[in-house]
Amino acid sequence: MVSGPVDNIILLADCYKSSHYKVYPPGTTKLYAYFESRGGKYPYTVFFGLQYILKQWLCGPVLTKEMVAEAKQVIGQVFKRDDVFNEAGWNYVVEHHGGRLPLRIKAVPEGSVLPTRNVLFTVENTDPAVPWLTNFFETVLVQAWYPMTVATASSVYRQLITHYLHLTHDTDEMAEYMLHDAGYRGVSSVESAALGGAAHMLSFKSSDTVAGTSLLQKFYGLEGVAGHSTPSSEHSTVTSWGRDRELQSHRHMLDTYHQGDAGCVCDSYDIWKCLEEMWGGELKELVLERGQRGGCVYLRPDSGDPKAVVLKCLEILGKAFGTETNKKGYKMLPSCVKVIQADGIDLHSLWDILEHVKEHGWSTGSVFFGAGGALLQKVHRDTQKCAYKVSYAEVEGKGVEVFKQPITDSGKTSKKGRLTLERGEDGTYSTVQHGKGDLTKDLLVPIFEDGTLLQEYTFKEVKQRADQGPQDFDVIKFLQESKN
Amino acid sequence: MHDLPHLSVTNGAMEGGAVNNIILLADSYKVTHHRQYPPGTTSIYSYFESRGGRFPYTVFFGLQYILKRWLQGPVLTKEMIQEAKELIKVHMRDRDDIFNEEGWNYILERHGGRLPIRVCAVPEGSVVPTKNVLFTVENTDPMVPWITNFFETIFVQVWYPLTVATNSRIQKQVLHHYLKETHENLDPLPFSLHDFGYRGSTSVESAALGGAAHLVNFQGTDTVAALSLLRKFYHCPMAGFSIPASEHSTITTWGQHGEVDACRNMLESFPEGIVACVSDSYDIWNCCEKIWGEELRDLIIKRGKTGGTLIVRPDSGDPPAVVLKCLEMLGKAFGVTTNKKGFKMLPPYLKVIQGDGISYRMIATILEHLKQHGWSAANVSFGSGGALLQKVNRDTQKCAYKCSHAVINGEGVDVFKQPVTDPGKTSKKGRLSLIHTADGSFSTVREDEADPKLNLLVPVFENGELLRDYTLEEIRKRAELNPQDIDVMKFLSENQA
Repeated sequence: MVSGPVDNIILLADCYKSSHYKVYPPGTTKLYAYFESRGGKYPYTVFFGLQYILKQWLCGPVLTKEMVAEAKQVIGQVFKRDDVFNEAGWNYVVEHHGGRLPLRIKAVPEGSVLPTRNVLFTVENTDPAVPWLTNFFETVLVQAWYPMTVATASSVYRQLITHYLHLTHDTDEMAEYMLHDAGYRGVSSVESAALGGAAHMLSFKSSDTVAGTSLLQKFYGLEGVAGHSTPSSEHSTVTSWGRDRELQSHRHMLDTYHQGDAGCVCDSYDIWKCLEEMWGGELKELVLERGQRGGCVYLRPDSGDPKAVVLKCLEILGKAFGTETNKKGYKMLPSCVKVIQADGIDLHSLWDILEHVKEHGWSTGSVFFGAGGALLQKVHRDTQKCAYKVSYAEVEGKGVEVFKQPITDSGKTSKKGRLTLERGEDGTYSTVQHGKGDLTKDLLVPIFEDGTLLQEYTFKEVKQRADQGPQDFDVIKFLQESKN
Repeated sequence: MHDLPHLSVTNGAMEGGAVNNIILLADSYKVTHHRQYPPGTTSIYSYFESRGGRFPYTVFFGLQYILKRWLQGPVLTKEMIQEAKELIKVHMRDRDDIFNEEGWNYILERHGGRLPIRVCAVPEGSVVPTKNVLFTVENTDPMVPWITNFFETIFVQVWYPLTVATNSRIQKQVLHHYLKETHENLDPLPFSLHDFGYRGSTSVESAALGGAAHLVNFQGTDTVAALSLLRKFYHCPMAGFSIPASEHSTITTWGQHGEVDACRNMLESFPEGIVACVSDSYDIWNCCEKIWGEELRDLIIKRGKTGGTLIVRPDSGDPPAVVLKCLEMLGKAFGVTTNKKGFKMLPPYLKVIQGDGISYRMIATILEHLKQHGWSAANVSFGSGGALLQKVNRDTQKCAYKCSHAVINGEGVDVFKQPVTDPGKTSKKGRLSLIHTADGSFSTVREDEADPKLNLLVPVFENGELLRDYTLEEIRKRAELNPQDIDVMKFLSENQA
């Protein structure tokens, strides 16, 4: 295993940023920028992931003379000109700061849940000689959009599932286990899998993206694991037995892992036959017996229209294993068998299935879910319109408000001046602009200064914060409105 | 492969990263599979394909990165096995009957930590219609058949560079079409779509991979991480280029009334060569008409005399309308000539770049709109961020990896799925070859039905050794546009979705 593709912080920025130090107003000594979600799909965000970026890339002495020399070569060749690379500026950081970055970052504590359009973190240079550093690192800092967006979306999924458990089940405690992360193969890289997988685990305890646990242990002080998994089959472990030995493959699975829970994929050839004749037939006793020892078998369809398939699976299994009616009046399969649908799941299809299942008198508690691409990949920076903009500068000793306000898109207007994040007595958040905020009330906490991490959040506290959830958010109303 | 020798990274975190244990490269459930195959299984053979999707072909790219980054050489250590054993136990709710300690120790002891896998693949850069085998994987040691599908997770991640390279090439086809129709040559093509996607990627690693995939087709990028990756993993010392360009902060810090000073400063700080300047901070029309068109007009023309070009960048509003209006305003201020194809051109020192809201469809829409108004496509270049590097997923090209053959108790058997609930998910059977058809296209056949010499799948990895080491140069050659390509405009009109 070799190390990843980038190991020089000067290469963490879009190329054009190498040309910017020259074009700020003469006499600029301070650039102050902020990051926000300008709106987007969800009305709130769960802030998470900045600590990973800081620890992975920006903490400590991160710059050496050798890196400056290497970057000089690369940037010179990228631009095919030698009047772009800021050799003096980077060497200054090495010589005067021992390679540590003279930046101050203040951020809302990780795990915080806030309405959009609020400042989430601010960045400014601490050395007046190098103001351009603030926006040089925009690129890598903006990548916080990803863990934040996955964390946000995951929290909405959990609220949706909780809502339906409330309606159709005796308890909603199991919500945390009901959306399994199956996205490791469907993301764009291992690093992204780790980040996205970690973000999902702020809301759920069920995951196959073990890279997420690795990241949380290394970067968020996680002890133990944050998500669990279960012995489960995949198509190759069923189909390698041959079509006429499918039954044996399932039996072998149950025998091999004969304690506790097990997951079995059932649609290799004919899901209906599989459920009716195999699981409802020869394997039934094994399932019931296992159930008596506290184990549950999760039967997994993996193709077809999710809504229709899930319902039909429930009905076949209900017929074979019998059903009970819970206190809320909904049908449940016995505790030894459940359906798990992990194909085609996204927020809207999940809602569809939950409603469909409920309409047919079934409890949500009999169906578990998994999601891959929708959870970890089908998000982008525009999902929550994440952006980083300079809002304040000091030029020739004077503070100036800085903003953009394109007539061609008022949604892209940025905030002005120094910012604070404050909370009113009624609990509502607001971002105070123009330097008019009360610093004693500022919820933005200094977390990074001159290369040192000032605050280190543990996964435990991040999750605690995230579990508090958003204020005034009705997940069903949200889904209805976003459908239109 | 080693790090470049002259780098000395002092920050330990940067070397470590989130994952540095190959046993943690797989979906958790795969840890449980070694005991689920039929007893007597000695070989598992799997293949990877695009089962269809948005585009009718794919550009194969990125497997070499995965092999070199994660799988090449001795990749397994005692420490990794121990670390994984402990983690998996807790992760699986305290079960000790899962982790295959024996299997991993066997690989460590018998194979010195090298993976007993053979991978055969179509050469990188190949442009192959969907529903064809692109690579196959099998175990080379009968003791560890489970290893083939253990690494499915990481192998399947090739969907990403493959899909980005494909989406990027489709855009190249669109740009090529309009340049052919409205311009005298194809000179602008290599720099007509610039990668702006670094910040919109999900991680630095993803940015590097996606950015690299785009550079298979183009040469303009701001995602410098891609250049690093291509140097380190594909033998290309410098794969892409960029130009000095402003961003909103370098304009807005001059204040609303300082915009003209900011723009002037940009031109004077870089007195020669090509520069780009974002122009919509406050009022794009004022910027085009008054700032570029009047106050700085002479400076632009003067720079132009020594080959300096200004690229004006709008960044908001409805793209086709905005681009056209910019061209018309700039045309009015600087004059317009007509090229040999009869289309209007701004003077050679002036261009527009649209870097907001770009996708393969939007490029076609904009260029068609310009064409309808008599403007050559050569006046405009494009930048793309999210749509290039992030708005793709594994379903875009329906990428999947499936076991198609096994040897059980000495007998070879075809393996496949055929779900009655979705015939689109039916997988191929048997050991597979990829061959050319008589008309030069591709076909996937059973290995035993074709002359092995005609098999386009080449062994690229075996027992920890890389057998082929593709350079970006040859990959680019393979991926070049050619007359056998699909008619991209026909494709666009038939696939409105």
